[in-house]
Amino acid sequence: MATLGEHSERAGSRLRAAVHLASTAVGSIVDPVTERDRTRRRIVALCAPFATLLAVAGAYPLVEVVRISVSAEQYRSVGFALEAYGTLVTDPYYRGVAFNSLWLAGGTTLASVGVAVPIAHALEKYDLPGEDVLVTLVSFPISLPGIVAAFMILVLLGNNGLVTNLAALLTGRPATDLAIAVSAPGLFVAFCYSMIPRATLILRGTYAELDHAAEEAAQSLGATPWRTFRYVTLPQIRPGITGAVILTFRTGLAIFGTLIVIQTVVVWTLQISRELATGYDIQVAGAMATAYFLFTFAFTALGLRYTDAEVGL
Amino acid sequence: MSVAPSRRFGRGLVTATLLLAVGFLMVPVVLTFVGSFAGEWSGVLPSEFITLQNWREVLGLAETIGSQRSMGWNAILSVGGYTLAVPSELIFSVALALGGVFINLVVGVPIAYAVARYDFRGDEWVNAISVLPLVPGVILGVAFLRAYPDLAGTSFGLIVGYSLLKAPFMVMAVRSEFESMPLQRLEESARSLGASWPRTFLTVIVPNARSGIVSGAIICWTLAAAEFNFSYIVWAKGTQPLALFLQRHISNSSFTKAAAAVSMFFCIIVVITVLLQQVGSRGFDTRG
Repeated sequence: MATLGEHSERAGSRLRAAVHLASTAVGSIVDPVTERDRTRRRIVALCAPFATLLAVAGAYPLVEVVRISVSAEQYRSVGFALEAYGTLVTDPYYRGVAFNSLWLAGGTTLASVGVAVPIAHALEKYDLPGEDVLVTLVSFPISLPGIVAAFMILVLLGNNGLVTNLAALLTGRPATDLAIAVSAPGLFVAFCYSMIPRATLILRGTYAELDHAAEEAAQSLGATPWRTFRYVTLPQIRPGITGAVILTFRTGLAIFGTLIVIQTVVVWTLQISRELATGYDIQVAGAMATAYFLFTFAFTALGLRYTDAEVGL
Repeated sequence: MSVAPSRRFGRGLVTATLLLAVGFLMVPVVLTFVGSFAGEWSGVLPSEFITLQNWREVLGLAETIGSQRSMGWNAILSVGGYTLAVPSELIFSVALALGGVFINLVVGVPIAYAVARYDFRGDEWVNAISVLPLVPGVILGVAFLRAYPDLAGTSFGLIVGYSLLKAPFMVMAVRSEFESMPLQRLEESARSLGASWPRTFLTVIVPNARSGIVSGAIICWTLAAAEFNFSYIVWAKGTQPLALFLQRHISNSSFTKAAAAVSMFFCIIVVITVLLQQVGSRGFDTRG
């Protein structure tokens, strides 16, 4: 009994110390004495509005989603059960959906960043006539939602599409046989339509910080343009490219509107919306949302921590 | 002596890639705009020019039925028999996006200043959290439906969702503007002339950063007006946000009519961008 009392007393004094510490910390913010305290109060005041929005609109709803996804009942958050996650792991259908998401986003990321490097190179290094206009034109699609990107692909590659009909004229085959807009390749191109401008934006930021003197030195020492790019430019922009790959991959995983118009490949985001549309299975949708959040969070954190990635915007 | 292939072709190839990419991105935009004035689009190029029928139907000026239903019109002002009416979907989205921008200003400008001006423990984390999108629209939509089942589909729910989704763009634009300013010097001169700290922030720092703030507002506005994923998940009834209206036309309407709906969206983006740029270059000037 004595030890128990001693324990609780020690715990009590520790608690009192903690409360005291917390109250001085709060006190120094509410009623600052030193300039350092005042600065701290300013920082807290400046961050408070964002923190409030993040807590109310971001953190609390996400916690609710996690709670329903591990709930023992379907429409109320009670108890703890991992049935929804069990479904995701064991059902081969969901594994297929996850695989679709990963290859589609991964493939389009590599293609988009691959195209964005020469675009950024040309825009930042060459003195092209009408460069401002070109920058505006390349940036314009950033503000287009995925549904419009999908429509753009229908205009190019659909049954009525420009490219489709040109190909039909050249080969003599009917246009409907050649239309690829509503197919996996069409979807691939539609993803690239959304992602190339974003990757270009990031890489232009990287190119703007390049050290031109080193390139000029290499050129004047007789290096060909390719060798200059390979051994002088590329090592400098590699962190930027890694950063662009991480951010573009996140964009690719998040694409949804495009898939509503071109519903040929079922990916994670589309499946989430289908869970809600057919039978309102909020538990599985919640588990999918949680899995998505954890995956992108881990992927971004690890990517930024263990690669040389630089994200400069 | 042979010339290295990269010297002969390198620049040409890179430039060609750029031009091809611009073509890939822009040809469908131009074609859509042109096609929206066409009566027929079943061959390689649209034909039967020039008709305004598609635009009239999309804007709700001509009779339409069923799933191809067009915009409703709201009377906002009635003077002596003349009624000033506006397309409801359009105005609704303009207002929603402006609401989102307003919240973005209130939350984004201060945190950008905190990160740019002060060194404090955890500032890297604050920076990372404020510029990386937390979750995509679909996930946030599911979360809103779960946490606020009654509020999620309302205008207020949409505005709050938009503001969280687009906040990183505001923070990035404003922070880079702050970083190019001599913040400490500005703050210290204002303080030494007797201004309190809140006054310094509101009347000296913020007006000086207006070009960054305006460009952040432009970006956030266009992205919020075009937001589809979140709206699609949470929207339940009433006036449709613009992006849903577009999707309905793309999925259900004739090709030329969908082209008119998408072209209308292009026009809005261009008009608002120009408008806000004008505000940025003149409107905030207090010296008259």
